[in-house]
Amino acid sequence: MKIGIFLCHCGHNIKHTVDVARVKEYFQKFLNVAVAEDYPFLCSEPGQELIRSRTEAEGLDRVIIAACAPTLHQDMFKDLVKKGGLNPFLLRRVSVREHCSWVGDDIGKNTDKAIRLIKAGVYGSSHYIPLEEKQVDVTQSAMVIGGGVSGLSAALFLSNQGMHVYLVEKEAELGGHVRKLRNVWPSGKDGSELIDEMVETLRDRENVEIFTSTRMVSFGGSFGNYEATLETPAGESTVKAGGVIVAIGFAPFDPISKPELGYGKDKRIVTTLELENGLDELGLPANPRVAVLHCVGSRDEQIGKPYCSRVCCINALRAGQTVKEKFEHSYVESFYMDVRAHPKGGEEFYEDTQEKGVLFTRGNVGEIIPTPAGVLVRGEDTLFGELLEREFDLAVLSIGMSPPKDNQYIASLLKITLDKDKFFLEAHPKLRPYDTALKGIFIAGTCSGPKDMEESINHGRASAVKLFGLLNLGYAFVEPFVAMVDPKRCSGCRACEQACVAKAIKFDDGERIVRVEEAACMGCGLCNSTCPSSAIGLKGHADSSINDEVGAILEAI
Amino acid sequence: MAEEAKKDIPEIVGFACSFCSFKASEMAGSLRMKYPEGIKIVQVPCSSRVDPAFVIKALFEGADGAFVAGCHPGDCHFIKGNYYTRRKIAALKEMFKAFSMDKKIKLFWVSASEARRFVEKVEHMYKEIKEGNNEGKKG
Repeated sequence: MKIGIFLCHCGHNIKHTVDVARVKEYFQKFLNVAVAEDYPFLCSEPGQELIRSRTEAEGLDRVIIAACAPTLHQDMFKDLVKKGGLNPFLLRRVSVREHCSWVGDDIGKNTDKAIRLIKAGVYGSSHYIPLEEKQVDVTQSAMVIGGGVSGLSAALFLSNQGMHVYLVEKEAELGGHVRKLRNVWPSGKDGSELIDEMVETLRDRENVEIFTSTRMVSFGGSFGNYEATLETPAGESTVKAGGVIVAIGFAPFDPISKPELGYGKDKRIVTTLELENGLDELGLPANPRVAVLHCVGSRDEQIGKPYCSRVCCINALRAGQTVKEKFEHSYVESFYMDVRAHPKGGEEFYEDTQEKGVLFTRGNVGEIIPTPAGVLVRGEDTLFGELLEREFDLAVLSIGMSPPKDNQYIASLLKITLDKDKFFLEAHPKLRPYDTALKGIFIAGTCSGPKDMEESINHGRASAVKLFGLLNLGYAFVEPFVAMVDPKRCSGCRACEQACVAKAIKFDDGERIVRVEEAACMGCGLCNSTCPSSAIGLKGHADSSINDEVGAILEAI
Repeated sequence: MAEEAKKDIPEIVGFACSFCSFKASEMAGSLRMKYPEGIKIVQVPCSSRVDPAFVIKALFEGADGAFVAGCHPGDCHFIKGNYYTRRKIAALKEMFKAFSMDKKIKLFWVSASEARRFVEKVEHMYKEIKEGNNEGKKG
C-alpha cells in the first residue's frame, strides 16, 4: 500500500503551534508512506495541484489530508483525489487545526498530538474500501422559515424557478422589520411599500404556500427529503421539502439592558426605531437640542455584544438628518466611536449630514439622566480626554441588532449551530457563507449576523440559488455509508433487525441470515455495535478501522 | 515516555458522534477554546456506533479514561441511537465497577452548538482522572 500524507500549515493557524517539520520527518520514515508533504495552504490552487499531481504520479492508495475539520472543503479534496485517479472514499481527513493546533498552546505537546491523530488516520484508513456515491431522489420543494425581506427574496427566486415553496412566518403578517420602516435609506421609500410588492407577487403564484402565525414544532429527515410539522391556525400540517432556508432575522437590541441610559424611564429617550414614525408626537420645542448615540448594543464587551451591527451608523445619521430637516435651527450632536457608513453612498451621506450641521463628537456616553428641563447626557470626550456633560431635549439611541429570539429553538430543531454571538454559524465565513454544516439547510439574512437590507436581500437570493442548484436535477448523490452483512459470519440471531431504527434490516428466511436494504439504511452503525458476531459492518466505519484508530492514538511514538 | 511522567498527563480517548458532539468539538476549536492535549477524539457517525468493545480496547491499551459523547436524548440524528448508547454504557459501567474502573468511563450529551459544554465536560473528566491518578501514586 502506498500512503500519501499532506500536512497543511493553514498559514499560521497550524504551523504556529505544531512543529510541521517534525511531523513530516516522522512520517517520511513511516512504513508504506510514499509521500509526506507539508504546504502553506492545501486549499489554494498550487496546494490542490500538489495533492492531485502527487496522487497521480505516485499511484497512491490512500491520501491523508491533515488540515482543517473534515467537513470543510471535503467536496473539493474528494474531487482532487478522484482526478488523481484514486477512489474518493480512500481519502482520509485529519482535523489537526480544530482538534489540535487551535485547542492547545504548547508546541511540543501539540506536535505529539498531531502525530498521533495523523497516525490514527493512517491506521484507520487502511481498512477503507473503494465506494461509489449513492443516488437518491430529492423533493423539489423548499421551505423558507421567516418571512422578512431576506426570506421573501429567497422565496421569490425559488418560485421564479418553478420550485414549490413553503413560506413559514410566526407573525400574522409577512415583512419582518422592514415593514416597520417609514423611510428606507437611500430611496426614502416606505418599507411596507417594498414588502407589499414582494408579497403580492408571491400570493399570486400557485407554487407558493404561505403559512402565517405558524410555528414549526418538529423537523426531521435528511437532505432531499426533510419533513416538518407546522402548527398553523388551521391545525397541524406536515410539509415535505428538499431543502430549507432559515431566515428568521434579528431582534432589535433592547436598551433596557443598559439601565444607565435611562431608556423606558423617560419619553424623551427614544430608539431610532421609534423615531421612524416622525418627530411630531415627541412635543419638541422650536429649536430642540438632540443627542444621537451610536453603538447602543454594539461593540460593547460589557453586555457581551462585541460585534458591529452595521446598520446603526446609517440609522443614526438618518435620525440626525430627520431632526435637521424639520427644525433648521436645531442643535444635533452625535456621539460616536467610529462612523462606519458601510453601504454604497454611505460615506457621502455622512458628509452630507455633517454639512447639514449635525455635530460629531467622539465620545462614550456613560449615562443619561432625565431632569425636569430635559435629559442630561454624561460621558467622556475621547478625543480631548475630558468629561462631557450637556443638556438635551431628546436623546436618540441608535440600537444595534441582537440575535433572533427563536435562535436556540430553531437551532435545536434543525440541529444547526450558533456562533459565539448566538447568530447562526455559517459553514465557512468566506467560502460558504450561506451554508450550514447540514446539506440542504441554508441561512439567509440577519439571522447569521448583522446586515443591512441590501445585504439581507443578496444573502437570501444567494441561499436560494445554492439550494436551487442542489435540488434542480431532482436527484442528488449522498454518501454510501450503509451497513453490509458478511453472510459467512451472520448467525441469523436477528438482534440487529430489532435494533435498527430505520427498519432497513430484513431477515432472509431461505438463507437464515439478515440483509440490508441500502436505500433505507441511515448509516448510524447501531447494528454494528449490536451484532454479537461482528457479522454486520458499516462501510467507511468498520470495526477494524475504529479499533486501529484507538490503538494508534495510544501507541508510543 | 517514562511511566512517572505519563501518570501526570492522562490520556483520554473520546468517541464523538458526527452530528452533535464532534461538531461541538470542531466549534470549540474554531472558538480557540483550550483543553488538555491528552484528550483525543475519534469520530463516529452516531454514538450508537460505539461498540463497548472500543471503550474496553481503549482502556486496555493504556488510556486513563474513555468517553462517549452523543446528541442530547431526543435529539439523535438517527432518531434514537443515543438511547441504545445510554443502555450499553450503563451496562459497561456496571461491569467495570467490579474492577473499580467505572470512573474511567463517561457518557455525556453535547449538542452541536454547545462547544463550551463540550470543553467543560472533557476538562472536568480530565481533572478528575488526573486527581485520581495522583491519589493512586500516593497510596
